[in-house]
Amino acid sequence: MTEPTMSVPVGGIRDRAYERELLVHLAKLRVSDDPEDQRQAAKLRADLIPLHIPLVEHLVRRFLDRGEPHDDLLQVGTIGLINAIDRFDPDRGVEFSTYATPTIVGEIKRHFRDKGWAVRVPRRLQEMRAALSKATETLSHDLGRAPTVAELARKLEVSEDDVLEGLESASAYATISLDAGFDDTESASITDSLGFDDEALALVEDRATLRPLLEALPERERRIVMLRFFHNLTQSQIADEIGVSQMHVSRLLTRALVKLRKGMSEAHAD
Amino acid sequence: MPDHHEGDAARIQLRIPSSTAYVSLVRTAAAAIAARLDYSIDRIDDLRLAVDEACALVIADAADDAVIVCEFVSASTQLEVEIAGASRSGSPPSSGSFAWTVLSALVDSVSATVTNERNLIIRLSMNSTNAASTNEFA
Repeated sequence: MTEPTMSVPVGGIRDRAYERELLVHLAKLRVSDDPEDQRQAAKLRADLIPLHIPLVEHLVRRFLDRGEPHDDLLQVGTIGLINAIDRFDPDRGVEFSTYATPTIVGEIKRHFRDKGWAVRVPRRLQEMRAALSKATETLSHDLGRAPTVAELARKLEVSEDDVLEGLESASAYATISLDAGFDDTESASITDSLGFDDEALALVEDRATLRPLLEALPERERRIVMLRFFHNLTQSQIADEIGVSQMHVSRLLTRALVKLRKGMSEAHAD
Repeated sequence: MPDHHEGDAARIQLRIPSSTAYVSLVRTAAAAIAARLDYSIDRIDDLRLAVDEACALVIADAADDAVIVCEFVSASTQLEVEIAGASRSGSPPSSGSFAWTVLSALVDSVSATVTNERNLIIRLSMNSTNAASTNEFA
């Protein structure tokens, strides 16, 4: 194989001819068994991904009013993009963007389906959630405790029902990926990574069942569960302790409990 | 919100099928009632989680066609929640279980009884003036 022009244009200038050249070359390299070609293919693929991120961005925008974080959608959309790059056949004569669009959109839709998000969260509620999160932070700081619904309503100049609805919608979608951007990879030793100590679990009869379930939780969730239920910190205190909002703690806690409850009942059913 | 029930107790009852799919209704009602009592939002969240947990316990032990009765009694700052359903096992959940640890951490007091009619009743009690509503570490 000849050495292709591999440098990526500076400043993200869209050069369709150049992109196509890369794709054609990648398609050739992909079918080769030569390890060197494979290495080149991997590099080409890595070069092609950022070139097409604007396309993913464009498609993600259609789904932004459904309450999922932009970064999460961009991430799943990128998975679709990578699949499209890997499967694109330049001989078919279609534009790459034409080929990739359904793959990317499909991946984003699958994400919503997997998350059980058939329900569209109205923009109004999303805005309410964002406003609530901010107001909660301010008021918690000023009051030295978590605010009440009435206090939030006054602060935001909305009705108490609106506040409740917003809080409700925030906790209702607890199964959504909240850890995007957080590194929840396990450290070498689970007990070292803080989260739990057997002493705290000693009083729980079903700790033999509970322990592996706790271990299976992402570190952040496990830590929150331990702090809330075994060290009796409030959600606000935990929020301060780990540096996230109280609403986020609430959501992670809800999600962790759902998993633990499911795990426990499955274990008991065995 | 109007304070119609200042001083005297308000009693609210919800009857749901024995399925976790309906628990969100109980959770929503609990949150709305706690908000009326001026609970702080982290106490409201605690109550939501406790209602989830208590309903899960009762439903897990109830027959498929059972009716789960959820009753809320609110008076000034005090809120009592009762979740009840026909029990298959005839025995209350163990106070050493993880579920019980969770409930105890979330509300001020929790108890479970099985009546002579084999009804499992879980009672939760909460007070808005509980120390947990203030953030001592802030």
